Parts: sequence; structure tokens; C-alpha cells
Amino acid sequence: MFDHGQPSYAEVNKDVLSTMLETGRGYWILLGSTMSVAGICFFMPWIYQLFVGIGAAGMNRNSVWGTYISNFIFWIGLSHSGTLLSAVLHITNSQWRKSIYRSAEAMTLFSLMTAALFVMVHVGRVWFVHWTFPIPNQMGLWPNFRSPLMFDVMAITTYLTASSIFIYMGSVPDFAAVRDASTGLRRRLYTIFSFGWRGTAKEWHTLGWAYTFFAVFVIPLAVSVHSIVSWDFALSIVPGLHHTIFAPYFVCGAIYSGTAGIVTVMYCLRKFLNFERYIGQEHLNNLGKLLITLSLIWSYINMLELFSTWYGGTSFELEATRFRLTGFYAPLYWEMILFCAFVPLLMLSRKIRLSWNKMLVISILINIGMLTERFIIVATSLPRKFLPDAFGFYFPNWIEISITIGSFGIFATLFLIFIKWVPAVSIYEVKETLNPLRRNG
Amino acid sequence: MAVVATFAYEDAFLAAAEKLKSSGFDDMELLSPIPLEEAQEILGLGKSPVRRFSLAGAIIGAASGFAMCVATALVFILPTGGRAIIAIPPYFVITYEMTILFGVLFTLIGFHVVSGLPAWNDKPYLEEANIDRFVVVVDSGSGEQLAQAESIIRQAGAEEIRHVEVE
Amino acid sequence: MNTLVDRFRALRRPGYFEEFDYHWTMTIDLDRCTGCEACVVACQAENNLPIVGEERYAINREIKWIRIERYWEGDYPDVRMRFIPMLCQQCDDAPCETVCPVFATYHNQDGLNTQIYNRCIGTRSCAIYCPYEVRYFNWFTYTWDEPLEQQLNPDVSVREKGVMEKCTFCIQRIRIAKDNAKDDDQRRVRDGEVVPACVQTCPTEAMVFGDSNDPESAVSKMMQNERGYKVLEDLNTTPSIVYLTKAHS
Repeated sequence: MFDHGQPSYAEVNKDVLSTMLETGRGYWILLGSTMSVAGICFFMPWIYQLFVGIGAAGMNRNSVWGTYISNFIFWIGLSHSGTLLSAVLHITNSQWRKSIYRSAEAMTLFSLMTAALFVMVHVGRVWFVHWTFPIPNQMGLWPNFRSPLMFDVMAITTYLTASSIFIYMGSVPDFAAVRDASTGLRRRLYTIFSFGWRGTAKEWHTLGWAYTFFAVFVIPLAVSVHSIVSWDFALSIVPGLHHTIFAPYFVCGAIYSGTAGIVTVMYCLRKFLNFERYIGQEHLNNLGKLLITLSLIWSYINMLELFSTWYGGTSFELEATRFRLTGFYAPLYWEMILFCAFVPLLMLSRKIRLSWNKMLVISILINIGMLTERFIIVATSLPRKFLPDAFGFYFPNWIEISITIGSFGIFATLFLIFIKWVPAVSIYEVKETLNPLRRNG
Repeated sequence: MAVVATFAYEDAFLAAAEKLKSSGFDDMELLSPIPLEEAQEILGLGKSPVRRFSLAGAIIGAASGFAMCVATALVFILPTGGRAIIAIPPYFVITYEMTILFGVLFTLIGFHVVSGLPAWNDKPYLEEANIDRFVVVVDSGSGEQLAQAESIIRQAGAEEIRHVEVE
Repeated sequence: MNTLVDRFRALRRPGYFEEFDYHWTMTIDLDRCTGCEACVVACQAENNLPIVGEERYAINREIKWIRIERYWEGDYPDVRMRFIPMLCQQCDDAPCETVCPVFATYHNQDGLNTQIYNRCIGTRSCAIYCPYEVRYFNWFTYTWDEPLEQQLNPDVSVREKGVMEKCTFCIQRIRIAKDNAKDDDQRRVRDGEVVPACVQTCPTEAMVFGDSNDPESAVSKMMQNERGYKVLEDLNTTPSIVYLTKAHS
């Protein structure tokens, strides 16, 4: 697990805390640029759209949903990585997750926040969006809990809450480490954040049990969240969307895109925070194996969809599929297949799996493919519903493209803020993987 | 008065803790930078009461989730899509999410209740306990009990022993 | 519905209503329809439909609660055009109603699929779920240049941006008719007393509107016609509009 020899306990503290306590100019420049991207590319077009109306974007009569929804689904998908690493691998007691799960959980939280922002951008009258929450009001009006969109609201609220609690509670002992290593205002803040943690056996015992219960709750939650998101589509009767496979398809796609996102983020952490010692070949190898498995499942599901469409033979489905595979967006569809089904096959080779640079490229290509996939689902199903006279076409305009780019800026900004406030590598869990401090072997 | 002893090695620490426990020092505290299952066993911490909070939360969540769906649907009866007003499949999904939401929230409350955190009091603490040292704190008992504790600790091979004033 | 058991049964009944108060239904005789689009104009006038403008119309942003769909058959010179007026089918098992998260669209006791403009928050999922594509979104807040605002119907609200709208079977006319009938000795609305603007305007009388609960109404009799069919019937949306195919093949 440790490519350059095991660090000592004290070195773990020093290495991780120094990324928090020492900040160079490069960090501020990077933070400034991501904030500018977020501000200029996301918020300014959004504010323009708030004044002018949703018509500022490129959607039309039959494609009333566009990139806002496809980006929303992409970001929720990206959020599943952290849950898988944090929770599932915690239950199975895997050792290799220990140095990377904290950042993966942070990715989850920030992707969810970005996705929630997309809901607000998408909705026509966002100043009434609080009506989707069951808040008591004078009108006596409540949301429609029979609606698939309400499942979405409840699921994402629960997922946001659970993820925040999960990452916070897991970080409490590390906040104590920050408290001990700092002075002044920071020390006071982290005294509060760490709840006065001392590390007694009773505190560890309680935290361990609580954390395991969080993990046990969060795993079915993550599966249900993306299933519910897929049901926004699958519970319609639109030919390209009304497939029962959508729930497993989306969950698999989410874990797939999320894990690729983890590889990208780990590469950046190693490069910019000098975590080469803690994130090494074993992690990359295991992430690669996970990606290959998910890629194969994803390819299988895509083939299934095509097969069941062909076998069912309804004219509406066949037309929707024909448009998807050979219509205007055919290049995008085949690019998606290339990046998500064929390029990852390279990871069957161990040599490629152990190369950071090649894995970075593959992971970025996978995520480009997954972003395309969400877009394809929206842009090629809606223009081909039932009545041929009503067929249409959808192409995103500059506002939507700008907001898409801006969302990556928002995510990067949140993550950059995170690495200065929370230890990006879990100190105590890494120590658990080291040789125990025993006098007699 | 409290005896605060620092150990550099895990096995010495655990040996001392075991001896102290069998000599009757039930409410000593064992500080460590990582969770140690053996330390928890020595102190006799079996299943944590946190699990009761989780279960209570899940049950309350399920009940209130379903109740919320039904109650809000009855305020104004607005049939939609030829479905029943009290429809089980959608309400099941909402109930499922509420079960998890309340389960998580109650577990959080349970953690705070059971662990006693936040506790910004002045109980004995050494910063090394969170880096790479294992610390035993014995803070109750008469003078001669503390002396006995100290001798056990010294025999087990403590790196450093301190006496700390406790309020 | 006095006892608790009755109430519970009603709450568990799909669609809730055992029968509708009036089941407003329309038949459209495609043999008589000439595709003149007078109904489209009438609807626009009656329901304060916004003037979207030529540019936005061209990019598929039109708002036409009733539209004439055209299908071309054959090659030159044997080209034929078939058309079908398409408006909200007021489905009894409407897919659009289930998905609105804020109850901005629901089924009322007259079998109508209602749209509540001031409750709509603009998620647009109802338009996704509608198989007939008869729901239209206000992409902008459209305005009327003077003096066009003087021809707005005071019985119908004007919608702002972010709100979904669709054909309501001129519910404002239905409501006035029901009120008048109630004032007039608590009687029922008579057949032919209320017609939507499109039905009223159709020059060939291709559209017939009425209460299909009443076996004596004109629309009930038209529905018996063997030429009758419903669009996309096998999607099980149970639409309330019966089309009568052309008499010859």
C-alpha cells in the first residue's frame, strides 16, 4: 500500500495537516480562477435567465428538458463514488480505501450541492421552489407525494443530510488533530468542530458504532437516490425513456462515473498536495479493477436496452432508437460508446492500470462519455415521442453550455475550500493501516 | 489528582490497562490516536447503545413518513392521473427515504448522547494522545489507590507519568 | 359517503371519483374538418394566448392550445394531406397529473384536467409525460402591444413566465354556465348551453361538445359512431376526445 515505505504516526499528522495549515500562492491563484469560472460562467448567465425567463436557454416545445436536467443527473451520478468507497468498502473492511475515502466523500457532498443548484436553474419559477417541501403554510397546500419529482426532492434532501453528517462525523478525530496543531482563532474554531474530542476508548467505541450505522443507512440510500432520479424519466411513457432497466442503468452509471471522478481527483491530490506517499499503486490498481467491472456492466446494460427495443418492435421505440443511433446526435452517441465501453477495456492490462497518467486520461474520457450519455438520453428521446407531426429537435445554446462549464468551476471551488478546512486524507484511518506500534513485533 | 501516563507502545499500554482493570480501576480512561478494539474490550464496552437510537429513528421515520404522505393528501383531495389518493407504491418510496433520514438523524443524536460530546471541559488530555502515544488516565480514588495505579503503570513500562490537578 | 369505510374506500379507489358530475367530452369528425384553423384563432382570442412572435415560433416555441397536425401521404402528383386537430385530451388517467410535484394539475369532478397557473413552479415534467405534446410553456413573459391588450378576455388570467398552460375546454365558460344553471333554480347545465371557443367557431361543425354522462346529449350519440377512435388509446390514458375517422379509406 505504501510505495515509498511506511510513514510514522507523527509523519502522517505532519503530512496531512501541512496541506491544511500551509497555503502557498498557487492555491490562491487556483481558487481565484475556479471562483471566476463559477461566477462568470454559471451565475451570471443564470441571473440573466432569472430576469428574462427560461426562454434564454435553448429548450423548446417538445424538448422542455435540456442540459439542466442532464447535468443535474450527471452531478448526482458523480456523487455516488464517495458513498461506495466510504460506506460499502467500510462495511467490507477493506484497507485500501482508508487514505482516499475522505476526499471521495467530499466529492459526493459537493456534487450533490452542484446538482441541487441545477434544479434551481432548471425550474421556471424558482422563487416558488420551496413549495416542493412539506412546509406548513397558510394556504394549507402540500406537495404531491405521489409525484416522481417529489421522490427526487425527498431522496436528495436525505442524501445531502446523510452525506454531510457522514463526512462530518468521520472527521471529528481529525478536527481534534487540527485543533492540537493550531493556535488562535483556528484552534478555537476546531475546538468547537471537534466537540472536545480526546480519543478515549469510549469515544472511539461510540464513533465506530455510529459510523457503521451511518454507512449501513447510506448504502441503500445511495442506490435509491439514483434509482429515483432515473424514475423521473422511466415513469413517463416517452418511448426512449420508459424502460424498466433505467434504475440499474443509472445506478451503475453513477458509480461508474463517480469512480472515474475519484481517479481524477486522486491524481490532482497527489500532484498538488504531495500525497504520493499515501495514495499509491494499490489504490490505483483497485480503482482500475472497479472501473473495468463497472464498464462491463454498463456496456451490458446498453446492449440490453438495444436488444429489448429491437425485440419489442414497437414503432415508437424503434424510431426513438433509430434517431439515437443514426440521427443528428449519432456522433455523440458513438463517442459515448467509444469512451465508456471500449476505451476502459485498456484497463484490462495491469501496466495501464498502474500508470497514473494513462488512468487520468481514461478517467476523464469516461466522464466525458458519461456526461454525453445523460445528454443523449434527454436530447434524443424527447424530440421523438409519439405523434410524428410533433417531432422536433433540440440543441443547447451558449447559456446552457456556459452554465455546464461553470458547474465544474463551482465543484472545483467547493473542493478547494474543503482541502483547507478538512484534512483531505483521514489521519486516523491511515494510521490504522500502518504497522501497529508494538514493542514486541 | 489524576495520574496521566504516556505509553509509546500499544502492547505495553494494553497490558497496563488490563492490570488496572483487574485491580478495580473501573473508570479509568484510555486515550489513543486510533481506535483499539482490545482497549474497548478491556473496558467492557460491548454493544453500543447508539444502535437503539438508530432503530428508534428508523421506526419513527417510517411511521412519520407514511403519516405525512397520507395526512397531506387528505387536506385537499386532488386526484391525479387516475390513481388512488392513498397510493402505496409512491408513498412507499417517500417512507423509505424518511426512514433513512430519521435513522441518520437519530444516530447522530445517539452519538452525542452516548459519547457525552460535545464536552469542552478540562478533563486530562495530552496532545500526543492524538498523534502517536497511548495515554492512561486514572482520575478517581484515594491517594493510596492512585499510588497503586502508578506502580502498575510503571511496571508495564510507561514512557512518562504525570500528576495532573483535576477540578 | 358518510361512513368511515365509505370514505376509506373512496381514498383507495383509483381516480377517486366513482362518477363525474359532468363528464365533458368532445367528438371531432375528421371527415368534416377542413384544416382551416379557425379553432386555433378562436382559442387564441378566448384564452388570452400570448403572441409569441415569428422568430420564436420558428424555433418551436409556439403556444397553440389546439393545433392542426398535418401528415403527408404519397408522392407527387398523388399527394394527400391528412390533418387532425390536436388539443389536450383531458385524459382520465392523465400521465401529466401524476408527476407535478406541487399539484398544479389535477383532475376535477367534471373529468377535466385542470391547470392551476399560480401554483405552477415550472418543472415542466408534465410536458415530458404528455404523449400528445399538448402542453405549452411560457418561456418568457409575453406582452401585448397596444391596443391588443384591450381584446383580452377578462374571465381568463394572463400567465407569466415559467408557467405551463394547455387547453382547459374553456373552463371559464363551463364555470359560468354552471353558475347560471345553479342560479336558475338549481338545474343542470343543458346540452349545448356551453361550448368551448373552438367548437363554437368551427365552420363545418366538426366538433361536438357536451356531457357524456347524459345519454341524451349530442356528444353521447356521436360517440356511438362506428368511425370513432381515440388517439394513442393503447397507452391507457383514457382520453375524453373521440375522433371520427374519415368515412372513406
